[in-house]
Amino acid sequence: MSGEDLNPAATPTECVDVHGDGRWMSLHNHFVSESKDREPDVLFVGDSLIQLMHQFGIWRQLFSPLHCLNFGVGGDATQHVLWRLSNGELDNISPKVVVLWVGTNNHGHTPEQIYGGIMAIVQVIKNKLPDAHTLVLGLLPRGKSPNPLRERNAQVNKLVKEALSSLPHASFYNVDPGFVLSDGSISHQDMYDYLHLTQKGYQAVCEPLHVRIKEILDKPTEN
Amino acid sequence: MSGDEVNPAAVAQPVEDVQGDGRWLSQHTRFVQECKDGEPDVLFIGDSMVQLMQQHEVWREVFSPLHALNFGIGGDTTCNVLWRLQNGELENIRPKVVVLWVGTNNHEHTAEQIAGGILTIAQMLTTGLPKAKIVVLSLLPRGERPNLLREKNATVNGLVRSWLPRLRQAQFLDVSREFVHSDGTISPQDMFDYLHLTAAGYRTISKPLSELLLQILEETPEERRASLV
Ligand SMILES: [Ca+2]
Repeated sequence: MSGEDLNPAATPTECVDVHGDGRWMSLHNHFVSESKDREPDVLFVGDSLIQLMHQFGIWRQLFSPLHCLNFGVGGDATQHVLWRLSNGELDNISPKVVVLWVGTNNHGHTPEQIYGGIMAIVQVIKNKLPDAHTLVLGLLPRGKSPNPLRERNAQVNKLVKEALSSLPHASFYNVDPGFVLSDGSISHQDMYDYLHLTQKGYQAVCEPLHVRIKEILDKPTEN
Repeated sequence: MSGDEVNPAAVAQPVEDVQGDGRWLSQHTRFVQECKDGEPDVLFIGDSMVQLMQQHEVWREVFSPLHALNFGIGGDTTCNVLWRLQNGELENIRPKVVVLWVGTNNHEHTAEQIAGGILTIAQMLTTGLPKAKIVVLSLLPRGERPNLLREKNATVNGLVRSWLPRLRQAQFLDVSREFVHSDGTISPQDMFDYLHLTAAGYRTISKPLSELLLQILEETPEERRASLV
């Protein structure tokens, strides 16, 4: 994609309050205000997969002790996270690690566009937090049976992984422990609605993720 | 609402697979299968408020021991729940209680239409399960601050409360009053996104709900219990 093409996935976009209860902006304002009171070492940013992680025991068990903040908003696509991070959520904190997990909600966008959106977010984080390391989590497969969105997410992962390998301040991390079973299906024991993780699913994702974050925290000179 | 107009919130409708991964139908198909495998005493049906409950400790501690099945699907409207119930989710099971919690996602409908949709589902449940009791949960307030959707949900609750006594087997349980603080705000400690409940929020609503369910289950006549063995 040439620089002149406008990529909607890489254009900061406010979420339109179609329902009329202002929840998206309330959450953003809540995060900005949290960022003023807290000094997180690790920031989690993304969509519902980040947001719901905060609701389970695994968060208190593994991530709270590392001084983590969670800025996940259900339904967010890359352009929404881009808007939030460009509008105050990074202005008062200096985390050492940013965990970014977003892209599976970019419906209507191509893998190249979603990849461009993720890279734009990585760049905003680099600009605002030059000393932080960004850990980009791979998009998970979704749907009970094989479907085009699984292929799209896999394609996004391939592009992001390749691009991040040459950046010192960011890395790709595949958190899929093997959710697709040998018959091609995903179990509701891992993803209760074939998209969002159960406690068991989060455990399989978060235990290795916790190890990876600690590795980065113990090597702060990587950048 | 006049009787000769079609209420769009009372029309059974499947969710269109706009995203292309078929998740809604996969969940419905799983629920139909669960009806064949399980013998629930309590059936929960509704939207994400029902669905997420199953992901919290309170489900395993309080509701699962009552032999409960959870047929919640995130984003569902009254129309979608109607469709699911008409397409296999009541077949092969004889729960003693059905807990219905849906309506906050009916964005295209008026409060009157939503209440009518809820009543239609309750009616369908009483017809399909003539011996079961139906518990309709109130819609919760939503949004950090006062807004039109809070007013709409409150209006739905008022209508359901006044209409539901037409159905002898059904009762309304209002769990909506604990969440709005005196300054008009809802706390993310109760609803993490000002809509969905946290573990603490689920604890709050689970107390009156589990008390009512236990009371109903105890009232269930012995001969009916025996026939279920
Ligand atoms: Ca790198």
